[in-house]
Amino acid sequence: MLEVLTLFLFNIVIYSIPLLYATCGEIMVEKSGSLNLGVEGTMAVGAIFGFLAGCKADSLPVAVLVSFITAALVGAIFCIFTITLQANQNVTGLTITTIGVAVYFFVGNGLGANWPVYRECTRLVSGFADIEIPGLSAIPVIGKAFFSHNILVYFAVIVAVLIWLYFEKTSIGLRLRAIGENPGAADSLGVDLVKYKYLHIMAGSGIMGIGGLYMGLNMGGTFEGSNCWINGYGWIAIALVIFANWSTTHAIVGTFVFGFFNTLRVYNMPIATTFPNTFGWLSKVPAQVFSALPFAVTLLVLIVNSVRSRKTNKSNAPTAIGVNYYREDR
Amino acid sequence: MRLKIIRRKETKLVNKILLYVIGIAISFVVGGIFLTSLDINPFAYYRDMLTIGLIGNYYPGKSVEGLLKLFVPLLITSLALSLAFKMRFWNIGGEGEFITGALFAAIVAFKLGDTLPGFVVIVLMCLAAFVSAGMIGLVTAHLKVKFNTNETLVTLMINYIMLYVIKYFGETKADWNFFLRTDSERPVFAKFPENAIMDGIKFGNFKLLYTVPAAIVIAVIVYFYLKRTKQGYEISVVGDSVNTAKYAGMNVYRITLRTIFLSAAFIGLAGAFTAAASGTISTDITNNVGWTGVIVAWLSRLSVPVIGVVSLLISVLQYGCQAASASYSQIDHNFADLMQGLFMFSILAAGFFSNFKIVRTGDKKDA
Repeated sequence: MLEVLTLFLFNIVIYSIPLLYATCGEIMVEKSGSLNLGVEGTMAVGAIFGFLAGCKADSLPVAVLVSFITAALVGAIFCIFTITLQANQNVTGLTITTIGVAVYFFVGNGLGANWPVYRECTRLVSGFADIEIPGLSAIPVIGKAFFSHNILVYFAVIVAVLIWLYFEKTSIGLRLRAIGENPGAADSLGVDLVKYKYLHIMAGSGIMGIGGLYMGLNMGGTFEGSNCWINGYGWIAIALVIFANWSTTHAIVGTFVFGFFNTLRVYNMPIATTFPNTFGWLSKVPAQVFSALPFAVTLLVLIVNSVRSRKTNKSNAPTAIGVNYYREDR
Repeated sequence: MRLKIIRRKETKLVNKILLYVIGIAISFVVGGIFLTSLDINPFAYYRDMLTIGLIGNYYPGKSVEGLLKLFVPLLITSLALSLAFKMRFWNIGGEGEFITGALFAAIVAFKLGDTLPGFVVIVLMCLAAFVSAGMIGLVTAHLKVKFNTNETLVTLMINYIMLYVIKYFGETKADWNFFLRTDSERPVFAKFPENAIMDGIKFGNFKLLYTVPAAIVIAVIVYFYLKRTKQGYEISVVGDSVNTAKYAGMNVYRITLRTIFLSAAFIGLAGAFTAAASGTISTDITNNVGWTGVIVAWLSRLSVPVIGVVSLLISVLQYGCQAASASYSQIDHNFADLMQGLFMFSILAAGFFSNFKIVRTGDKKDA
């Protein structure tokens, strides 16, 4: 009974971590006033190049670094088009998703039989192995569920907290938020808008890339011709940003909630059979309901937030989101 | 020396066209570099792609039929999206609206297909799709105008909700589930009754489905609607400035609701056309047309005649990549997406250079 619960919690963490990376990355992007719909494509690019480089060098740090850099370069493309060339953000983002996923399939199909075998890259595999945190991992249930994971799980939480500190406690973070709220005012105060946006969008995109890499590693690094590793997680991340109300610390809780639904989808049977009286009904819920729930909940949050903010303005959404800034239009 | 971006006062049409041609050429070159990296001869590949496998094909009629099956939904969806985009309303819910239309068309087909004559069934299917998808548009538009809810995100969420709805019907074996075949162990969508399948005109072994002329008629109607009617004019005023529209005494709420209803409804209609043309539905019935439509509408700068041309070209690209992947094992139909993205980027860049120019600051007045 406890084992089922432990495994359930353990799986929630495993499956929601890529979402945490992607969500934190997108929050960083959106705080600078840009809505990047290219998360899915950015993750796909970071995933495949990070994985391939990681296998080649047989090292997890190399994999993480390369996934960050390649995804950040994708972010740079977004910046060139939306900031320098003033192109529409929605269209640019969608194009990045289209082309990013296409590049993923192009590289994977192109390599064909030359695709590296993940389990032969022993140091990469051991780098991604679970690490039990001494002391904490001995706690029953919680220890296994939260404190015996691979290093990228802990790193994701650290990244989320660091970004939160960055926005709340540093002057650079404050200026970035100002750009997202009112670019004209920030510009008039002498903030170098273009530099700020480029750097933060690239950094945010890079973080998404690490999330993509995680997904690839977690799936054993096999390339399937039909399914992309990212498999819609990029879109869920965009939903999560709203659910987390543009706060990376809320995102930690938010990803756990989304991961909860996601895990229930595959884990509802064991739960239902272990607790037949209280959770027996779970076995009757169709899997598609669990898949759709994150989106339905986000839709609800979106609507409730906008209705409420009519009266109180409780939403943390950057005011200037999605609108390009052209100084002479001011 | 510092560079500065300034807005052009006007651009000659010749220069504009030249910019776009250069952009497309660059995309083909970049695509060619990708192909060469896989040891594929780009010229041979592009030839196979652009001729959509017609060369040496015993049944060229089938290829053209396949091409048109991609073209019709893409054309209608792109047109419908451009209605919304003209108003700067970001309906990226094409996928969800398309699925909704196809689902409701399928309900009519299964429930009434056996009892009513063919023509009536098809009309009812289209009507059901039109209204059901349009409702999604109404709700999003209402939220946008009344509460300023971000329409991009709302339509995005609805896409996924509808995707899982159709998956639910497609993957659940049950007595009540009339969508599925009863004679199959595995869940498989059933074929529509004969009356609910779109017919066409036969030319030898090529069959021109009625959806093709219907789509062209829709394009003409949308063109005149936008150019020649009061409602079309109102769309462009609201798109330029909501305040101008308000001061001119226009009812922005009504205009938005009406336009977004039409936008979503036409996408639903495209879903019904696709379902009726193939005589069944599937969980990937949209073929990503909701996303591709956004790209087509934007590539065409929301001009109706250009949308016609671009959606045909993108269909050739998609069908051609499918056809070509038969002879190249290292590459699959996703290469079409890659090319599409490259086109999009080069057109976005061309659009920039036809509106802005880069000058060195410190110079005297630029010529």
